Amino acid sequence: MKWAIIRFPGSNCDEDARFALEKAGLKAEYVWHTETSLKGFDGAFLPGGFSYGDYLRAGALAAKSPVMEEVRRFAHEGRPVIGVCNGFQVLTEAGILPGALLANLNLHFTCKEVGVRVERTDLPFTRLYQKGQVLRLPIAHAEGRYYADAGTLARLEGEGLVVFRYAPLKGEADYNPNGSLHDIAGITNEKGNVLGMMPHPERAVDEVLGGTDGLPLFLGLLEEVTG
Amino acid sequence: MPKYQATLLIELKEGILDPQGRAVEGVLKDLGHLVESVRVGKVLEVVFQAENLLQAEEKAKTMGKLLANPVMEVFTLEALKELP
Repeated sequence: MKWAIIRFPGSNCDEDARFALEKAGLKAEYVWHTETSLKGFDGAFLPGGFSYGDYLRAGALAAKSPVMEEVRRFAHEGRPVIGVCNGFQVLTEAGILPGALLANLNLHFTCKEVGVRVERTDLPFTRLYQKGQVLRLPIAHAEGRYYADAGTLARLEGEGLVVFRYAPLKGEADYNPNGSLHDIAGITNEKGNVLGMMPHPERAVDEVLGGTDGLPLFLGLLEEVTG
Repeated sequence: MPKYQATLLIELKEGILDPQGRAVEGVLKDLGHLVESVRVGKVLEVVFQAENLLQAEEKAKTMGKLLANPVMEVFTLEALKELP
């Protein structure tokens, strides 16, 4: 299974993504945002960073890149698509996932480890986790407050589209790092093939990086093909 | 083709908490101003070509729709003028 790691001007987690995918045994190649074809690829990974310097809004300009039409096609065809951090912002700006990511309530760029509870384990991304398991994953963003109108939120909850939710790591009360509605840290689409999340699983795939809680996400993708 | 300048105002939708606005509001209040509330938005000045004023207005609105995120924002065409 070959993954396309989409590079925008300002992507900076592209190499982390490649490290994580390859550590899990998957092939990965970088694809520049002006490309108009993802032929030969099976999945698309939109990495974190500051595409276009986050001008206008985080992810807004990248969402209009030529390659995003192909990412949209992947999403419709049921191929796996992952957007992490800036990648999640790009997916919502492109309308591939619902909602939007607003400025953190504290207005700070927040870089720390947070607790992330796994809400669904029937997806390729989460099949190797336990339901309710709380992962320790890093976050690093200034605009991660998930927002959607009341109707969309009700639909997300009703259809079980919330995949990850912020949760206390050490029993703390203020565990939600950005003010996301319903503590939402990651969501999927109806088909369950597109994942958008603010925490960085690709930065937690080796003890050297400070933890391995992100690794099963990538190993789960491998099973998608071989299993 | 004539040149036009459009001033597009992009604001958060009413009801969406604007922490930037809240921060500015706090400072103004601390300085003794009798401020009720502050919302922070963005102003985009776009210079572009169009056949005439009518087409320019249409184009400006199309660009506004493209640049504002309808999930959380509204845009207004604040001003439109032909440039010399």
